[in-house]
Amino acid sequence: MPEVARAEYLEELANLEASALGGLDLVSAALTRTLEAVEFQDVEMAQLVVADDDRIDGRYLEVHQALITLLATQSPVATDLRLISSLLHVLKNVERMGDQCVNVCKLIPISGNEPPADEEMVGLILSMGRHTKSLIAQAKRAFEERDVEMAQDLVRQDDVVDNLNRDCFRLALELGDDADKREWAMTMLLAARAIERTADNAVDIGEQVAFVVTGLFREFEDASHPEG
Amino acid sequence: MLGAATKRKAVGENQGTMSDSPAVSATSTGPVTAAGRPAKTIETRGVNLFYGDFQAVEDVTMTVEPNRVTALIGSSGCGKTTFLRSLNRMHELTPGASVKGEIKLDGEDVYAPGVDPVAVRRLIGMVFQQPNPFPTMSIYDNVAAGLNLNTKKVTKTQKDAVVERSLRGAHLWDEVKDRLDRPGGGLSGGQQQRLCIARAIAVEPEVLLMDEPCSALDPVATLAIEDLIGELKGRYTIVIVTHNMQQAARASDLTAFFNIESTGRPGHLVEVGPTEEIFTKPGQQETEDYVSGRFG
Repeated sequence: MPEVARAEYLEELANLEASALGGLDLVSAALTRTLEAVEFQDVEMAQLVVADDDRIDGRYLEVHQALITLLATQSPVATDLRLISSLLHVLKNVERMGDQCVNVCKLIPISGNEPPADEEMVGLILSMGRHTKSLIAQAKRAFEERDVEMAQDLVRQDDVVDNLNRDCFRLALELGDDADKREWAMTMLLAARAIERTADNAVDIGEQVAFVVTGLFREFEDASHPEG
Repeated sequence: MLGAATKRKAVGENQGTMSDSPAVSATSTGPVTAAGRPAKTIETRGVNLFYGDFQAVEDVTMTVEPNRVTALIGSSGCGKTTFLRSLNRMHELTPGASVKGEIKLDGEDVYAPGVDPVAVRRLIGMVFQQPNPFPTMSIYDNVAAGLNLNTKKVTKTQKDAVVERSLRGAHLWDEVKDRLDRPGGGLSGGQQQRLCIARAIAVEPEVLLMDEPCSALDPVATLAIEDLIGELKGRYTIVIVTHNMQQAARASDLTAFFNIESTGRPGHLVEVGPTEEIFTKPGQQETEDYVSGRFG
Protein backbone atom coordinates (compact mmCIF):
# COMPACT_ATOMS: atom_id res chain seq x y z
CA MET A 1 0.00 0.00 0.00
CA PRO A 2 1.40 3.42 -0.80
CA GLU A 3 2.30 5.57 2.17
CA VAL A 4 -0.31 8.23 2.99
CA ALA A 5 0.87 11.54 1.66
CA ARG A 6 0.02 14.98 3.09
CA ALA A 7 0.17 13.69 6.66
CA GLU A 8 0.49 17.15 8.19
CA TYR A 9 -2.52 18.46 6.30
CA LEU A 10 -4.62 15.45 7.28
CA GLU A 11 -3.61 15.83 10.90
CA GLU A 12 -4.58 19.50 10.81
CA LEU A 13 -7.95 18.63 9.29
CA ALA A 14 -8.57 15.99 11.96
CA ASN A 15 -7.63 18.47 14.70
CA LEU A 16 -9.99 21.09 13.31
CA GLU A 17 -12.81 18.56 13.20
CA ALA A 18 -12.15 17.72 16.85
CA SER A 19 -12.11 21.43 17.74
CA ALA A 20 -15.35 22.14 15.92
CA LEU A 21 -17.10 19.18 17.56
CA GLY A 22 -15.53 20.16 20.87
CA GLY A 23 -17.62 23.30 20.56
CA LEU A 24 -20.63 21.06 21.14
CA ASP A 25 -19.19 20.11 24.53
CA LEU A 26 -18.99 23.80 25.39
CA VAL A 27 -22.61 24.21 24.32
CA SER A 28 -23.69 21.23 26.37
CA ALA A 29 -21.99 22.67 29.45
CA ALA A 30 -23.62 26.05 28.83
CA LEU A 31 -27.00 24.36 28.47
CA THR A 32 -26.54 22.46 31.73
CA ARG A 33 -25.86 25.70 33.57
CA THR A 34 -28.74 27.40 31.77
CA LEU A 35 -31.16 24.73 32.93
CA GLU A 36 -29.87 25.09 36.46
CA ALA A 37 -30.42 28.83 36.25
CA VAL A 38 -33.99 28.24 35.08
CA GLU A 39 -34.73 25.62 37.75
CA PHE A 40 -33.55 27.79 40.62
CA GLN A 41 -34.23 31.14 38.95
CA ASP A 42 -30.55 31.82 39.64
CA VAL A 43 -29.56 35.22 38.29
CA GLU A 44 -25.85 34.82 39.05
CA MET A 45 -25.65 31.52 37.21
CA ALA A 46 -27.44 33.14 34.27
CA GLN A 47 -24.87 35.93 34.16
CA LEU A 48 -22.06 33.39 34.16
CA VAL A 49 -23.50 31.69 31.08
CA VAL A 50 -23.80 35.01 29.27
CA ALA A 51 -20.20 35.95 30.05
CA ASP A 52 -18.90 32.54 29.13
CA ASP A 53 -20.45 32.65 25.65
CA ASP A 54 -17.26 34.44 24.58
CA ARG A 55 -15.53 31.08 24.75
CA ILE A 56 -17.94 29.59 22.25
CA ASP A 57 -17.62 32.60 19.97
CA GLY A 58 -13.85 32.35 20.26
CA ARG A 59 -13.92 28.69 19.25
CA TYR A 60 -16.02 29.63 16.22
CA LEU A 61 -13.63 32.34 15.08
CA GLU A 62 -10.49 30.29 15.61
CA VAL A 63 -11.63 27.15 13.80
CA HIS A 64 -13.39 29.13 11.06
CA GLN A 65 -10.18 30.99 10.23
CA ALA A 66 -8.13 27.80 10.19
CA LEU A 67 -10.61 26.12 7.83
CA ILE A 68 -10.50 29.06 5.43
CA THR A 69 -6.72 28.83 5.49
CA LEU A 70 -6.88 25.14 4.62
CA LEU A 71 -9.18 25.95 1.69
CA ALA A 72 -6.77 28.57 0.43
CA THR A 73 -3.58 26.60 0.83
CA GLN A 74 -4.41 22.93 0.38
CA SER A 75 -6.94 22.82 -2.51
CA PRO A 76 -9.09 20.19 -0.80
CA VAL A 77 -11.43 18.21 -3.00
CA ALA A 78 -13.96 15.39 -2.69
CA THR A 79 -14.54 14.18 0.87
CA ASP A 80 -12.03 16.62 2.37
CA LEU A 81 -13.88 19.50 0.72
CA ARG A 82 -17.28 18.24 1.87
CA LEU A 83 -15.93 17.81 5.37
CA ILE A 84 -14.57 21.35 5.50
CA SER A 85 -17.82 22.73 4.11
CA SER A 86 -19.85 20.86 6.71
CA LEU A 87 -17.54 21.89 9.56
CA LEU A 88 -18.15 25.52 8.58
CA HIS A 89 -21.87 24.82 8.94
CA VAL A 90 -21.41 22.96 12.22
CA LEU A 91 -19.45 25.88 13.64
CA LYS A 92 -22.31 28.18 12.79
CA ASN A 93 -24.75 25.82 14.49
CA VAL A 94 -22.52 25.70 17.59
CA GLU A 95 -22.35 29.47 17.73
CA ARG A 96 -26.13 29.79 17.41
CA MET A 97 -26.72 27.19 20.11
CA GLY A 98 -24.48 29.14 22.42
CA ASP A 99 -26.44 32.27 21.64
CA GLN A 100 -29.72 30.51 22.40
CA CYS A 101 -28.43 29.63 25.88
CA VAL A 102 -27.59 33.29 26.33
CA ASN A 103 -31.12 34.21 25.21
CA VAL A 104 -32.61 31.96 27.88
CA CYS A 105 -30.31 33.28 30.57
CA LYS A 106 -31.10 36.89 29.72
CA LEU A 107 -34.75 36.16 30.45
CA ILE A 108 -34.12 35.09 34.04
CA PRO A 109 -33.43 38.47 35.66
CA ILE A 110 -36.54 39.76 33.83
CA SER A 111 -38.66 37.34 35.77
CA GLY A 112 -37.47 38.96 39.01
CA ASN A 113 -35.83 37.43 42.07
CA GLU A 114 -38.87 35.61 43.32
CA PRO A 115 -40.97 35.05 40.28
CA PRO A 116 -44.39 33.40 40.38
CA ALA A 117 -42.92 30.24 38.88
CA ASP A 118 -45.22 27.45 37.86
CA GLU A 119 -43.69 24.09 38.74
CA GLU A 120 -45.22 22.28 35.80
CA MET A 121 -43.94 24.86 33.32
CA VAL A 122 -40.44 24.75 34.78
CA GLY A 123 -40.64 20.96 34.61
CA LEU A 124 -41.51 21.07 30.92
CA ILE A 125 -38.61 23.38 30.15
CA LEU A 126 -36.14 21.25 32.08
CA SER A 127 -37.39 18.22 30.20
CA MET A 128 -36.89 20.02 26.89
CA GLY A 129 -33.40 20.87 28.02
CA ARG A 130 -32.52 17.29 28.94
CA HIS A 131 -33.75 15.98 25.60
CA THR A 132 -31.80 18.70 23.81
CA LYS A 133 -28.61 17.71 25.62
CA SER A 134 -29.17 14.16 24.48
CA LEU A 135 -29.68 15.45 20.92
CA ILE A 136 -26.42 17.37 21.08
CA ALA A 137 -24.50 14.33 22.30
CA GLN A 138 -26.02 12.17 19.58
CA ALA A 139 -25.31 14.72 16.84
CA LYS A 140 -21.68 14.88 17.95
CA ARG A 141 -21.34 11.11 17.94
CA ALA A 142 -23.08 10.75 14.58
CA PHE A 143 -20.63 13.20 13.05
CA GLU A 144 -17.57 11.59 14.63
CA GLU A 145 -18.65 8.16 13.45
CA ARG A 146 -20.08 9.34 10.10
CA ASP A 147 -23.27 7.48 11.05
CA VAL A 148 -26.11 8.64 8.80
CA GLU A 149 -28.76 6.49 10.48
CA MET A 150 -27.88 7.88 13.88
CA ALA A 151 -28.06 11.38 12.39
CA GLN A 152 -31.50 10.75 10.89
CA ASP A 153 -32.74 9.49 14.26
CA LEU A 154 -32.23 13.00 15.62
CA VAL A 155 -35.52 13.94 13.95
CA ARG A 156 -37.43 11.59 16.23
CA GLN A 157 -35.88 13.09 19.33
CA ASP A 158 -36.43 16.60 18.03
CA ASP A 159 -40.14 15.80 17.66
CA VAL A 160 -40.25 15.16 21.42
CA VAL A 161 -38.77 18.61 22.07
CA ASP A 162 -41.23 20.18 19.64
CA ASN A 163 -44.15 18.51 21.43
CA LEU A 164 -42.93 19.68 24.81
CA ASN A 165 -42.70 23.20 23.40
CA ARG A 166 -46.34 22.98 22.33
CA ASP A 167 -47.24 21.76 25.80
CA CYS A 168 -45.53 24.85 27.25
CA PHE A 169 -47.66 27.04 25.01
CA ARG A 170 -50.90 25.31 26.08
CA LEU A 171 -49.93 25.58 29.73
CA ALA A 172 -49.15 29.27 29.39
CA LEU A 173 -52.67 29.86 28.07
CA GLU A 174 -54.12 28.15 31.14
CA LEU A 175 -52.12 30.11 33.70
CA GLY A 176 -55.07 32.30 34.55
CA ASP A 177 -55.82 35.90 35.21
CA ASP A 178 -52.86 36.82 37.41
CA ALA A 179 -50.90 39.42 35.41
CA ASP A 180 -47.57 38.61 37.04
CA LYS A 181 -48.03 34.94 36.37
CA ARG A 182 -48.96 35.58 32.78
CA GLU A 183 -45.91 37.75 32.30
CA TRP A 184 -43.68 35.08 33.77
CA ALA A 185 -45.29 32.41 31.59
CA MET A 186 -44.71 34.43 28.43
CA THR A 187 -41.09 34.89 29.40
CA MET A 188 -40.77 31.15 29.89
CA LEU A 189 -42.34 30.58 26.47
CA LEU A 190 -39.47 32.54 24.97
CA ALA A 191 -37.05 30.36 26.91
CA ALA A 192 -38.78 27.24 25.64
CA ARG A 193 -38.57 28.56 22.10
CA ALA A 194 -34.82 29.16 22.46
CA ILE A 195 -34.32 25.57 23.64
CA GLU A 196 -36.44 24.28 20.78
CA ARG A 197 -34.22 26.20 18.35
CA THR A 198 -31.15 24.69 19.98
CA ALA A 199 -32.53 21.24 19.28
CA ASP A 200 -33.18 22.21 15.65
CA ASN A 201 -29.54 23.20 15.33
CA ALA A 202 -28.55 19.71 16.45
CA VAL A 203 -30.72 18.24 13.68
CA ASP A 204 -28.98 20.57 11.20
CA ILE A 205 -25.68 19.04 12.27
CA GLY A 206 -27.18 15.64 11.49
CA GLU A 207 -27.97 16.83 7.96
CA GLN A 208 -24.30 17.75 7.55
CA VAL A 209 -23.33 14.19 8.51
CA ALA A 210 -25.38 12.93 5.59
CA PHE A 211 -23.73 15.48 3.31
CA VAL A 212 -20.20 14.43 4.26
CA VAL A 213 -21.00 10.76 3.72
CA THR A 214 -23.23 10.90 0.66
CA GLY A 215 -22.37 14.21 -1.00
CA LEU A 216 -26.07 15.04 -1.02
CA PHE A 217 -27.64 17.75 1.07
CA ARG A 218 -31.24 17.15 2.05
CA GLU A 219 -33.25 18.58 4.91
CA PHE A 220 -34.38 15.76 7.21
CA GLU A 221 -37.51 17.73 7.95
CA ASP A 222 -38.51 20.76 5.91
CA ALA A 223 -40.66 23.25 7.82
CA SER A 224 -42.11 24.55 4.55
CA HIS A 225 -43.17 21.04 3.54
CA PRO A 226 -44.41 19.49 6.79
CA GLU A 227 -46.04 16.60 4.97
CA GLY A 228 -42.54 15.33 4.26
CA MET B 1 -24.75 13.66 -30.44
CA LEU B 2 -27.15 16.25 -29.17
CA GLY B 3 -28.14 15.39 -25.62
CA ALA B 4 -25.51 12.67 -25.26
CA ALA B 5 -25.51 11.61 -21.59
CA THR B 6 -22.48 12.34 -19.46
CA LYS B 7 -23.22 9.66 -16.86
CA ARG B 8 -20.33 8.59 -14.69
CA LYS B 9 -19.11 5.12 -15.69
CA ALA B 10 -16.92 2.74 -13.74
CA VAL B 11 -14.79 0.44 -15.86
CA GLY B 12 -16.93 -2.38 -17.21
CA GLU B 13 -20.28 -0.65 -16.97
CA ASN B 14 -20.11 0.70 -20.49
CA GLN B 15 -18.89 -2.48 -22.17
CA GLY B 16 -21.09 -3.77 -24.94
CA THR B 17 -23.49 -0.85 -25.00
CA MET B 18 -22.42 0.46 -28.39
CA SER B 19 -24.21 -0.79 -31.49
CA ASP B 20 -22.37 -1.73 -34.66
CA SER B 21 -23.94 1.04 -36.73
CA PRO B 22 -22.45 4.54 -36.64
CA ALA B 23 -23.61 6.50 -33.61
CA VAL B 24 -24.84 9.50 -35.59
CA SER B 25 -25.10 10.51 -39.21
CA ALA B 26 -22.86 13.22 -40.56
CA THR B 27 -25.88 15.40 -41.18
CA SER B 28 -27.18 15.41 -37.59
CA THR B 29 -28.01 18.82 -36.13
CA GLY B 30 -25.41 18.52 -33.41
CA PRO B 31 -22.67 20.98 -32.49
CA VAL B 32 -20.74 22.37 -35.47
CA THR B 33 -17.16 23.37 -36.21
CA ALA B 34 -16.05 26.61 -37.78
CA ALA B 35 -16.12 24.73 -41.09
CA GLY B 36 -19.80 23.95 -40.56
CA ARG B 37 -19.33 20.20 -40.12
CA PRO B 38 -20.52 18.39 -37.02
CA ALA B 39 -17.89 18.43 -34.29
CA LYS B 40 -16.65 14.93 -33.63
CA THR B 41 -17.16 12.41 -30.92
CA ILE B 42 -14.45 9.86 -30.28
CA GLU B 43 -15.55 6.48 -29.04
CA THR B 44 -13.02 3.92 -27.88
CA ARG B 45 -13.89 0.32 -27.20
CA GLY B 46 -11.53 -2.20 -25.61
CA VAL B 47 -8.39 -0.26 -26.53
CA ASN B 48 -5.18 -2.08 -25.61
CA LEU B 49 -1.84 -0.47 -26.43
CA PHE B 50 1.53 -2.14 -26.71
CA TYR B 51 5.17 -1.28 -27.14
CA GLY B 52 6.38 -4.53 -28.65
CA ASP B 53 5.35 -7.21 -26.14
CA PHE B 54 4.92 -4.76 -23.28
CA GLN B 55 1.32 -3.76 -22.67
CA ALA B 56 1.13 -0.11 -21.68
CA VAL B 57 -2.64 0.38 -21.60
CA GLU B 58 -5.41 -2.07 -20.94
CA ASP B 59 -8.97 -2.20 -22.14
CA VAL B 60 -10.07 1.43 -22.33
CA THR B 61 -13.71 2.02 -23.24
CA MET B 62 -14.92 5.59 -23.10
CA THR B 63 -16.53 8.36 -25.10
CA VAL B 64 -14.89 11.71 -25.73
CA GLU B 65 -17.85 14.08 -25.83
CA PRO B 66 -18.12 16.71 -28.60
CA ASN B 67 -17.45 20.35 -27.80
CA ARG B 68 -16.30 19.43 -24.32
CA VAL B 69 -12.90 19.45 -22.69
CA THR B 70 -11.99 16.01 -21.36
CA ALA B 71 -9.04 15.85 -19.00
CA LEU B 72 -7.00 12.67 -18.65
CA ILE B 73 -5.39 12.51 -15.20
CA GLY B 74 -3.41 9.89 -13.35
CA SER B 75 0.01 9.19 -11.94
CA SER B 76 3.17 8.94 -14.03
CA GLY B 77 3.38 5.90 -16.25
CA CYS B 78 -0.34 5.12 -16.12
CA GLY B 79 -0.71 5.29 -19.91
CA LYS B 80 -2.67 8.48 -20.36
CA THR B 81 -0.25 10.00 -22.90
CA THR B 82 0.04 6.66 -24.70
CA PHE B 83 -3.76 6.54 -24.85
CA LEU B 84 -3.92 10.14 -26.09
CA ARG B 85 -1.47 9.41 -28.88
CA SER B 86 -3.48 6.40 -30.00
CA LEU B 87 -6.46 8.64 -30.72
CA ASN B 88 -4.75 10.30 -33.68
CA ARG B 89 -2.52 7.43 -34.77
CA MET B 90 0.66 8.91 -33.30
CA HIS B 91 1.24 5.85 -31.13
CA GLU B 92 2.15 3.72 -34.15
CA LEU B 93 5.00 6.08 -35.06
CA THR B 94 7.05 4.46 -32.29
CA PRO B 95 8.77 1.40 -33.76
CA GLY B 96 7.11 -1.80 -32.52
CA ALA B 97 4.10 -0.01 -31.13
CA SER B 98 0.68 -1.54 -31.76
CA VAL B 99 -3.01 -0.96 -31.09
CA LYS B 100 -5.80 -3.46 -30.40
CA GLY B 101 -9.43 -2.46 -30.07
CA GLU B 102 -11.60 0.16 -31.68
CA ILE B 103 -11.24 3.91 -31.95
CA LYS B 104 -13.99 5.67 -33.89
CA LEU B 105 -14.23 9.30 -34.87
CA ASP B 106 -17.94 10.00 -35.19
CA GLY B 107 -18.68 6.39 -36.02
CA GLU B 108 -15.77 5.89 -38.41
CA ASP B 109 -12.91 3.60 -37.43
CA VAL B 110 -9.66 5.60 -37.63
CA TYR B 111 -7.65 2.38 -37.91
CA ALA B 112 -9.71 0.86 -40.73
CA PRO B 113 -7.67 -0.45 -43.64
CA GLY B 114 -7.29 2.20 -46.27
CA VAL B 115 -7.59 5.12 -43.83
CA ASP B 116 -4.75 7.62 -44.32
CA PRO B 117 -3.13 8.34 -40.94
CA VAL B 118 -2.09 11.79 -42.18
CA ALA B 119 -5.74 12.59 -42.80
CA VAL B 120 -6.56 11.38 -39.28
CA ARG B 121 -3.89 13.66 -37.82
CA ARG B 122 -5.32 16.62 -39.70
CA LEU B 123 -8.78 15.98 -38.24
CA ILE B 124 -7.38 15.19 -34.80
CA GLY B 125 -4.64 17.75 -34.18
CA MET B 126 -2.05 17.72 -31.44
CA VAL B 127 -0.30 20.23 -29.23
CA PHE B 128 2.69 19.05 -27.23
CA GLN B 129 4.14 19.75 -23.80
CA GLN B 130 7.18 21.55 -25.11
CA PRO B 131 6.08 24.29 -27.53
CA ASN B 132 7.59 23.33 -30.88
CA PRO B 133 7.12 26.00 -33.52
CA PHE B 134 9.44 25.58 -36.48
CA PRO B 135 12.13 27.89 -35.09
CA THR B 136 13.53 29.47 -38.23
CA MET B 137 10.24 29.67 -40.14
CA SER B 138 8.32 32.90 -39.80
CA ILE B 139 5.23 33.12 -37.62
CA TYR B 140 3.15 33.32 -40.80
CA ASP B 141 4.74 30.23 -42.32
CA ASN B 142 4.41 28.34 -39.04
CA VAL B 143 0.66 28.81 -39.05
CA ALA B 144 0.40 28.07 -42.77
CA ALA B 145 2.62 24.98 -42.58
CA GLY B 146 -0.29 22.54 -42.42
CA LEU B 147 -1.96 24.09 -45.45
CA ASN B 148 0.97 22.94 -47.56
CA LEU B 149 -0.05 19.32 -46.94
CA ASN B 150 -3.29 20.02 -48.73
CA THR B 151 -3.04 19.12 -52.43
CA LYS B 152 -5.52 21.84 -53.38
CA LYS B 153 -3.82 25.07 -54.38
CA VAL B 154 -4.45 27.90 -51.95
CA THR B 155 -4.21 31.53 -53.07
CA LYS B 156 -2.24 34.10 -51.09
CA THR B 157 -5.46 35.84 -50.13
CA GLN B 158 -6.96 32.62 -48.85
CA LYS B 159 -3.78 31.81 -46.95
CA ASP B 160 -3.71 35.29 -45.37
CA ALA B 161 -7.28 34.78 -44.22
CA VAL B 162 -6.52 31.38 -42.70
CA VAL B 163 -3.42 32.69 -40.91
CA GLU B 164 -5.33 35.61 -39.42
CA ARG B 165 -8.31 33.48 -38.42
CA SER B 166 -6.04 30.94 -36.77
CA LEU B 167 -3.93 33.50 -34.92
CA ARG B 168 -7.10 35.24 -33.74
CA GLY B 169 -8.51 31.90 -32.69
CA ALA B 170 -5.39 31.29 -30.64
CA HIS B 171 -5.54 34.76 -29.04
CA LEU B 172 -2.20 35.65 -30.60
CA TRP B 173 -3.11 37.93 -33.51
CA ASP B 174 -2.86 41.28 -31.69
CA GLU B 175 0.56 40.42 -30.34
CA VAL B 176 2.12 39.32 -33.63
CA LYS B 177 0.14 40.96 -36.44
CA ASP B 178 2.91 43.49 -37.06
CA ARG B 179 5.69 40.91 -37.17
CA LEU B 180 4.31 37.93 -39.02
CA ASP B 181 7.56 37.60 -40.94
CA ARG B 182 9.67 37.25 -37.78
CA PRO B 183 10.84 33.77 -36.72
CA GLY B 184 8.47 31.64 -34.64
CA GLY B 185 11.25 30.82 -32.22
CA GLY B 186 11.55 34.44 -31.09
CA LEU B 187 8.34 34.42 -29.05
CA SER B 188 7.89 33.78 -25.33
CA GLY B 189 6.94 30.28 -24.14
CA GLY B 190 3.28 31.13 -23.79
CA GLN B 191 3.22 32.81 -27.19
CA GLN B 192 4.98 29.86 -28.80
CA GLN B 193 2.37 27.51 -27.41
CA ARG B 194 -0.41 29.68 -28.75
CA LEU B 195 1.40 29.68 -32.11
CA CYS B 196 1.36 25.89 -32.04
CA ILE B 197 -2.37 25.99 -31.29
CA ALA B 198 -2.86 28.37 -34.22
CA ARG B 199 -0.91 25.99 -36.43
CA ALA B 200 -3.12 23.10 -35.31
CA ILE B 201 -6.40 24.91 -35.88
CA ALA B 202 -5.34 26.32 -39.26
CA VAL B 203 -6.15 22.98 -40.91
CA GLU B 204 -9.65 22.99 -39.40
CA PRO B 205 -9.53 19.90 -37.19
CA GLU B 206 -12.49 18.44 -35.36
CA VAL B 207 -10.56 17.46 -32.28
CA LEU B 208 -7.56 18.93 -30.49
CA LEU B 209 -5.37 16.70 -28.35
CA MET B 210 -3.13 18.49 -25.87
CA ASP B 211 -0.38 16.68 -24.00
CA GLU B 212 0.37 18.72 -20.84
CA PRO B 213 0.26 21.94 -22.87
CA CYS B 214 1.09 24.18 -19.91
CA SER B 215 3.77 22.18 -18.10
CA ALA B 216 6.56 24.28 -19.57
CA LEU B 217 4.78 27.59 -19.04
CA ASP B 218 4.67 30.13 -16.20
CA PRO B 219 1.43 30.56 -14.20
CA VAL B 220 0.24 33.60 -16.15
CA ALA B 221 0.77 31.94 -19.53
CA THR B 222 -0.90 28.80 -18.13
CA LEU B 223 -4.08 30.65 -17.22
CA ALA B 224 -4.07 32.34 -20.62
CA ILE B 225 -3.95 28.95 -22.33
CA GLU B 226 -6.74 27.65 -20.06
CA ASP B 227 -8.92 30.62 -21.00
CA LEU B 228 -8.17 29.88 -24.64
CA ILE B 229 -9.12 26.23 -24.21
CA GLY B 230 -12.42 27.32 -22.67
CA GLU B 231 -13.13 29.32 -25.80
CA LEU B 232 -11.84 26.74 -28.29
CA LYS B 233 -14.22 24.05 -27.05
CA GLY B 234 -17.02 26.00 -28.69
CA ARG B 235 -15.54 24.96 -32.03
CA TYR B 236 -13.56 21.80 -31.27
CA THR B 237 -13.59 18.73 -29.10
CA ILE B 238 -10.62 18.88 -26.76
CA VAL B 239 -8.72 16.22 -24.83
CA ILE B 240 -6.00 17.34 -22.47
CA VAL B 241 -3.52 15.25 -20.51
CA THR B 242 -2.47 17.04 -17.36
CA HIS B 243 -0.48 16.36 -14.22
CA ASN B 244 -1.98 19.40 -12.61
CA MET B 245 -5.11 18.42 -10.70
CA GLN B 246 -6.23 21.99 -10.21
CA GLN B 247 -5.90 22.60 -13.94
CA ALA B 248 -8.08 19.57 -14.67
CA ALA B 249 -10.60 20.86 -12.12
CA ARG B 250 -10.56 24.41 -13.57
CA ALA B 251 -10.38 23.76 -17.26
CA SER B 252 -12.26 20.56 -18.06
CA ASP B 253 -15.88 19.43 -18.33
CA LEU B 254 -15.16 15.72 -17.98
CA THR B 255 -12.31 13.98 -16.23
CA ALA B 256 -10.99 10.48 -16.89
CA PHE B 257 -8.79 8.97 -14.19
CA PHE B 258 -6.18 6.42 -15.24
CA ASN B 259 -4.22 4.32 -12.79
CA ILE B 260 -1.63 1.59 -12.70
CA GLU B 261 -1.66 -1.22 -10.13
CA SER B 262 2.08 -1.59 -9.93
CA THR B 263 5.15 -1.03 -12.07
CA GLY B 264 5.10 -3.29 -15.09
CA ARG B 265 1.32 -3.62 -15.12
CA PRO B 266 -0.65 -1.85 -17.88
CA GLY B 267 -2.48 1.35 -17.07
CA HIS B 268 -6.27 1.25 -17.05
CA LEU B 269 -9.22 3.61 -16.90
CA VAL B 270 -10.64 3.69 -13.37
CA GLU B 271 -13.42 6.20 -13.77
CA VAL B 272 -14.69 8.91 -16.11
CA GLY B 273 -17.35 11.48 -15.29
CA PRO B 274 -18.30 15.14 -15.02
CA THR B 275 -15.40 17.06 -13.55
CA GLU B 276 -17.46 18.60 -10.75
CA GLU B 277 -18.45 15.12 -9.63
CA ILE B 278 -14.96 13.66 -9.87
CA PHE B 279 -13.69 16.45 -7.64
CA THR B 280 -16.57 16.63 -5.14
CA LYS B 281 -17.90 13.08 -4.98
CA PRO B 282 -15.91 10.56 -7.03
CA GLY B 283 -17.43 7.11 -7.41
CA GLN B 284 -14.30 5.05 -6.83
CA GLN B 285 -12.13 5.09 -3.71
CA GLU B 286 -9.05 4.94 -5.97
CA THR B 287 -10.13 8.17 -7.64
CA GLU B 288 -10.88 9.78 -4.28
CA ASP B 289 -7.42 8.86 -3.01
CA TYR B 290 -5.70 10.22 -6.11
CA VAL B 291 -7.51 13.56 -6.40
CA SER B 292 -7.14 14.13 -2.65
CA GLY B 293 -3.41 13.55 -2.93
CA ARG B 294 -3.44 10.48 -0.73
CA PHE B 295 -0.97 9.02 -3.19
CA GLY B 296 0.94 10.46 -6.11
